[in-house]
Amino acid sequence: MSTGSMVEKPELLMERTNLVTPSALWQWAALGAIVLGSFGHLLIKMGVTAAARQTLNSSVLSRLGHYILQPAAMTGLLIYGVGTLLWIYAVSQRSISFLYPLTALTYVVVALGGRFIFGEVISRQRWLGIAVVMVGVAMLQLSAREQKA
Amino acid sequence: MNPLAALWLSIALGACAQVFLKRGVGHQQIAGGPGSYLALVRSGWVWAWGVCFVFATGLWMMAISAMQVSYAFPLLSIGYLVVAVLSVVFLKERIPASRWAAIGVITLGVALIFSS
Repeated sequence: MSTGSMVEKPELLMERTNLVTPSALWQWAALGAIVLGSFGHLLIKMGVTAAARQTLNSSVLSRLGHYILQPAAMTGLLIYGVGTLLWIYAVSQRSISFLYPLTALTYVVVALGGRFIFGEVISRQRWLGIAVVMVGVAMLQLSAREQKA
Repeated sequence: MNPLAALWLSIALGACAQVFLKRGVGHQQIAGGPGSYLALVRSGWVWAWGVCFVFATGLWMMAISAMQVSYAFPLLSIGYLVVAVLSVVFLKERIPASRWAAIGVITLGVALIFSS
């Protein structure tokens, strides 16, 4: 019957538009969460390292308060917070056993950020580690295709 | 607190936090508007995530300020495995063999990045 071809066409169109409609939004949300989380983490680390030198002998609570009040740490926490909102969206869309290991990309972003922004040297072993993490993330993607998750 | 104890507690709480979050938002479709986020405030699971997350982060900050990054970060990657196990037990997620393998490879990669 001729209706067969009429059904096929809209389906094809649907598949294409899915790339930009909400079903793919979680990928951008997860990526955004990872990138913002990375920069947030860098800033927090800067603030905390500075604070640690000043408060070696204080109590746990006063140290924690002091850490959070560092300007770099505060900005980092804010950026981290926005990343968290994106993360919540991504988590609502896909299984956590798939999404959580993706956050290992944070270390790749931080290492590459250090290399290209601050001119840090990345050792051969670290490059190898970055490559292995990328292979693992690719394997995760394949596991998601296998299991619609 | 002993930095190593803080680190382990941080890993455990961080893993629990992710599983609680999934439990809280798993069956809700967040449309993206602020209203859908505000609705999450009513979920006990989301509160549990928030509390675990704050303590995990605080403990993590304490730990990395007192120990070497090359030691703390590779241990953090154990969290991927813990989350996977918890998601099977508490969320009944089905994890194909290829995903376990992927988690193993990622953990190895993180260990390579940070061991020096």
